[in-house]
Amino acid sequence: MDQILLITLNGLTLAGVYFLVASGLTLIFGLMRVITMAHGTSYLLGGYVGYVIARDTGNWFLGVLGAAIVIGLVGLFIHQVLIRRFQDDDMRVALITLGVSLIGTDLMLATFGGTATQVPIDPELQVASVSLPIVGSYPVLRLLVLLIAVVIGFALALMISRTRFGSVVRAGVDDSPMTGATGINVRVVFAIVFVVGSALAAIAGVIGGTLFPLLPGQDGVYLLYSLVVVIVGGMGSIPGAAIGAVLVGLVSQFGIVYAPTYALVLTFALMVVVLAIRPQGLLGRTV
Amino acid sequence: MADRSVLFAPQPTGVSRWLPWAIVSVVMLLVLIFPFIVDRPRFWLPNIGVQSIWLGIIAMSLVFLNRYVGLLSLAQVTVAGISAYGVGYMVVTLQQDFVLGALVGIVVGTFSAFVIALIAARTKAIYFLMITLAIGQVFFSWASQAIEVTGASRGLAPIRRPDWGVIDLNDITTFYYFAVAVGVFCYVLCRYVAGSTFGLALEGVRDSPERMKALGYNVNAYRVAATTFAGFIASIGGILIVLDRAQVDPNVVSLGATLDVLVVAVIGGIGSLGGVFVGALVLTLLSNFAQGLTEQYMTLTGIVFILILLFAPAGLAGIGQQVKRLISRRRRSATDSDESSQDPSAAQPTEHAITEGNKR
Repeated sequence: MDQILLITLNGLTLAGVYFLVASGLTLIFGLMRVITMAHGTSYLLGGYVGYVIARDTGNWFLGVLGAAIVIGLVGLFIHQVLIRRFQDDDMRVALITLGVSLIGTDLMLATFGGTATQVPIDPELQVASVSLPIVGSYPVLRLLVLLIAVVIGFALALMISRTRFGSVVRAGVDDSPMTGATGINVRVVFAIVFVVGSALAAIAGVIGGTLFPLLPGQDGVYLLYSLVVVIVGGMGSIPGAAIGAVLVGLVSQFGIVYAPTYALVLTFALMVVVLAIRPQGLLGRTV
Repeated sequence: MADRSVLFAPQPTGVSRWLPWAIVSVVMLLVLIFPFIVDRPRFWLPNIGVQSIWLGIIAMSLVFLNRYVGLLSLAQVTVAGISAYGVGYMVVTLQQDFVLGALVGIVVGTFSAFVIALIAARTKAIYFLMITLAIGQVFFSWASQAIEVTGASRGLAPIRRPDWGVIDLNDITTFYYFAVAVGVFCYVLCRYVAGSTFGLALEGVRDSPERMKALGYNVNAYRVAATTFAGFIASIGGILIVLDRAQVDPNVVSLGATLDVLVVAVIGGIGSLGGVFVGALVLTLLSNFAQGLTEQYMTLTGIVFILILLFAPAGLAGIGQQVKRLISRRRRSATDSDESSQDPSAAQPTEHAITEGNKR
């Protein structure tokens, strides 16, 4: 019983990281109807940038902030220079960003090497644990990650549903030419959303890189997980990404414990089942 | 717009009638005398020749799906890999004959493509891309862990090339000609299927699924059938991989391999069946010779890939057309000098050219 609870908690904290990565992807897709295959690159590069900053300044929060800014700028570059002209051609955007991820993988391997690194954080926090009922002691850091993911998730959902910017974004999703006609500069909105989406991946990278080691090849892994999360949850929906992340996190954790070889296959089976029942994802709208 | 103008185009006369045939003959001749004109056949034949051919075959299956069905699949390498693993399992684990192994490999690969199609064919363009990518990565992860079936990261080895008396594939020149024959066979088969009524129905499904449905066609079944056929072609490519490498390991189905094939298809021209071999040649030359110039050969490949997508989306096969259009545009703007040559619509042809490339 306590083992099942422990696995559930691990799954939920893992889901926090998955949600942070996937929320950026789903945000970008929701507005622009394009999928960026460079999202895993944003995650890993964000983790590395956060690692360098946190190592040199000794401040973890500076690492998160710096990574978000740097990757946000990279995202702005990708959006403005490479894909803005082809925004209506989702296939070409997917291929171009795939090319970006190819370059990113190669350059990151050359710059940061093939060995595992971990974003440094206050050593006290690193080992601190609280005792929970039934489960026993559990690392504080993991609970904090879950908390951060929940806070960011609610902030995003509220921003989209309650603020003026959110209503502009939603209007842009529904009918971007009409939104433009009402005097809103949709292009700027697109650019902002792309930057925010990339920055979210970077934040996820620093947080993920604090819990788990950063390794080459993780760009592909996290791209895969965020794709599965948004396919399961429904593309373009933040609550959908949350549900998808929780499902994927739980399935992969239980899979690792009970059927290690098939952990990823099980995650994938989850995706197939969801697709068979609801091709647009759990909370997705038909496009 | 582009295809309508083709309808009214005058019948090719003079130069334009025999030029394609001349190009084909010259290329075939070059391919056939290739073993005798290179300085180091032991390097050139396997590393450039055979590798270009299997890369080209797998990329051709991807191009076929994209051009005639409008689906961009990133699982073609996976299908080829499954076929290769099928051979490996038969030959290494079960100690069977290579020919039987190859047959089993092709059947298993084609069947896996059928299953992938059942999962993915209900979805549209970008979803199809994402789902096939996910399927490919999941197979990669399974192949690198399931030690009892795939031998994990060590893979399955050795898989010796067969020797059938007259045709001994251990002889590198014979093997090269064998690969050429397989490549030509796949190309002709793709062209034949594309030109058949089945191929025409596929184009109908691609252009207007609703209308085809109204005409009584089972759109989904056509998509599944086309994906299965493309899987068959990719499986044949997988057999060549096994013959070339004498083993299978997870690298065959890695993300890098998937991207390699995609790069080949895009460089060659994602709407051109024959162009893939040009693309494959460019990639193998890059990977073999750029390593001397720079450490970051992947970066170089990526940059070439992005540049082609940005500026010549119909690939090398479409560059001729593009240059022609550019020249005629120049001439037109030279005659009526009032119009500024900095016309922003000059960038127009590249817009939507991937979808346009499909229609061509």
